[in-house]
Amino acid sequence: MAQGFEFKPGDFQVPNLPIKRIIIFIVAILVIVVLTSSFYTVNANENGVVLRFGKYLTTTEPGLHFKMPYGIDRVYPVEVAYQFKEEFGFRTASAGVRTRYSSNNFEEVSWMLTGDLNIAEVKWIVQYKIVDPVAYLFNVRNPLETIRDVSEATTRLIVGDRSFHEALQSERRSIADKVRVHMQLILDKYDSGISIQLVQLQDVHPPTPVADSFNEVNRAKQDQETAVNEAHQAYNKEIYRVQGDAQRMLNEAQGYAIERVNNAKGDVALFDAVLREYLKAPQITRDRMYLETMNKVLSKIENKVVVDAKLENILPLLNLDGKGGK
Amino acid sequence: MQKIILLVVAFLALIVFSGSLYTINEAEQAIVIQFGKPVGENITDAGLHFKLPFIQDVRKFDKRILEWDGDANEIPTKDNKYIFIDAFARWQISDPLEFYKSAKNENLAQSRLDDIIDGAVRDEVSGRVMNEIIRSTERTMLIYDTESTDGIIGKDAVEKYEETKIGARLDIIESIISSVTKKLKELNMGIEVVDVQLKRINYNRQVQEKVFNRMISEQNRIAEKYRAQGQGEKQGIMGLQTQKKKEILSDAYLKSQKIKGDADATAVKIYAETYGQSIEFFNFIRTLETYENTLDASTQLILSTDNPYLKYLNKK
Repeated sequence: MAQGFEFKPGDFQVPNLPIKRIIIFIVAILVIVVLTSSFYTVNANENGVVLRFGKYLTTTEPGLHFKMPYGIDRVYPVEVAYQFKEEFGFRTASAGVRTRYSSNNFEEVSWMLTGDLNIAEVKWIVQYKIVDPVAYLFNVRNPLETIRDVSEATTRLIVGDRSFHEALQSERRSIADKVRVHMQLILDKYDSGISIQLVQLQDVHPPTPVADSFNEVNRAKQDQETAVNEAHQAYNKEIYRVQGDAQRMLNEAQGYAIERVNNAKGDVALFDAVLREYLKAPQITRDRMYLETMNKVLSKIENKVVVDAKLENILPLLNLDGKGGK
Repeated sequence: MQKIILLVVAFLALIVFSGSLYTINEAEQAIVIQFGKPVGENITDAGLHFKLPFIQDVRKFDKRILEWDGDANEIPTKDNKYIFIDAFARWQISDPLEFYKSAKNENLAQSRLDDIIDGAVRDEVSGRVMNEIIRSTERTMLIYDTESTDGIIGKDAVEKYEETKIGARLDIIESIISSVTKKLKELNMGIEVVDVQLKRINYNRQVQEKVFNRMISEQNRIAEKYRAQGQGEKQGIMGLQTQKKKEILSDAYLKSQKIKGDADATAVKIYAETYGQSIEFFNFIRTLETYENTLDASTQLILSTDNPYLKYLNKK
């Protein structure tokens, strides 16, 4: 198809365009391209570190900024306002209202020797901020790994100087504080531009293999309290009962006393009355009373024997009515 | 034609010019190599630099602090305990020229550091006892003493303070750093160590098992003590109960006897006052009452005729 196809003069005729206008147009486009690559924005929680030909020039605040294009100026954004958090010995599986933690196979990090050569399981967090973005970018190659290494070494150092029980209880807060101070010391030695804001011990436990024996101690404490409570309960119950008994004894004694005195008064009143009558006619009354009594008494008695006073001997004694004996 | 030559020259000049320019950023340092040999000084200033084009080459190295993390090593302590020590270090290329000559690259440097740091750690740790390695100060620790249980009644296990005048972790770290520093200086590798830290110190598996068993037996002993204390306190309370009970009852007995006694005394007084008016009459009616009460149907009564009651029987 292309055979025999030939260019003829006049086919390439430069169109009569206005060259000046085209040049202006191209220059305008170039200017726009240069301008657009000369602006950058720094986000709200960031700082921009600007290097010119690799040399530090300036640090810019959030907002729109101008820079030299084509790699002459390079901008590195650094999140300076952000609180970074690192977790040790556990990992937040899903953060939120109900934060779940996964702690499988974190023993490597969390088990550590205490000063009394026991092993404690310690989980902690470290919160840090970048305070010097230039130092942060250009002084330490791997800041995150550095923070993790330093944090582990420091926590072990501090816990290693506490006894197991101190780590679990009394010294928890002071351990976290000392770890923070010591970590900062080391990171400052590296001139890392990082400020440790907070170290917090989340959990200090006996390690899983011995956890049950610690629970057993808690159960034993409960048992101890139960035993004491039971004893107190039994004590109170018995003492209340005995107090009742004692009160009863006292009340009965009071009753006896009242009865005794009243009876005495009654007896005395009776005697008094009789005596008064008796004194009016003593002999008659006396004889009458005697006879009345004898009458009552002797009429009850079935066996009566009358013996003459002149009889020498009381034997032979005859059972006169034959009713006695067996 | 002249125009074309000018253009070509300008183009070549641009190539040459651009080939003689290079930048070093804040995280970098460099040396210049000419025909395979380093020439000139270390270039540590960030910024734009010149070199001869084509014949000079630039080697860049990291200026930042670099990481080193060795493997955990099992090391016996002076008191014959086998522990795993995992150390980490931070180092820097302090002299790129020397570094280029002896270490060439970072990987080689890392493996040289392995030897040097592991050796220093081993030397320092094996000359120390366990307590020195774990402890860092001389502070007294509060530990629970489960051994002495004699006659102690209390809510908590016995506490005692353990005095240890050993705690050398910081000294050990210091010694390791100075030993590594010295060795690196001798080797003149262009490397400086910034820091060495002991990241992890662990027992080996078997010892760890033993530690756990000891901890468990300690806890069991504490648990037993609590239980025994509970029982002891219970017995004490029961004893106290018996004591209190006897106290209350005897006190009540004492009071009630006193009340009764007082009443009896009052009664006696009342009787005595009234009966005392006529003792003879009192005796008389009391005797009569006695007869009435004591003599009943079963009584055999032998009466003499002398008896005043029968006085009329004898009268003839």
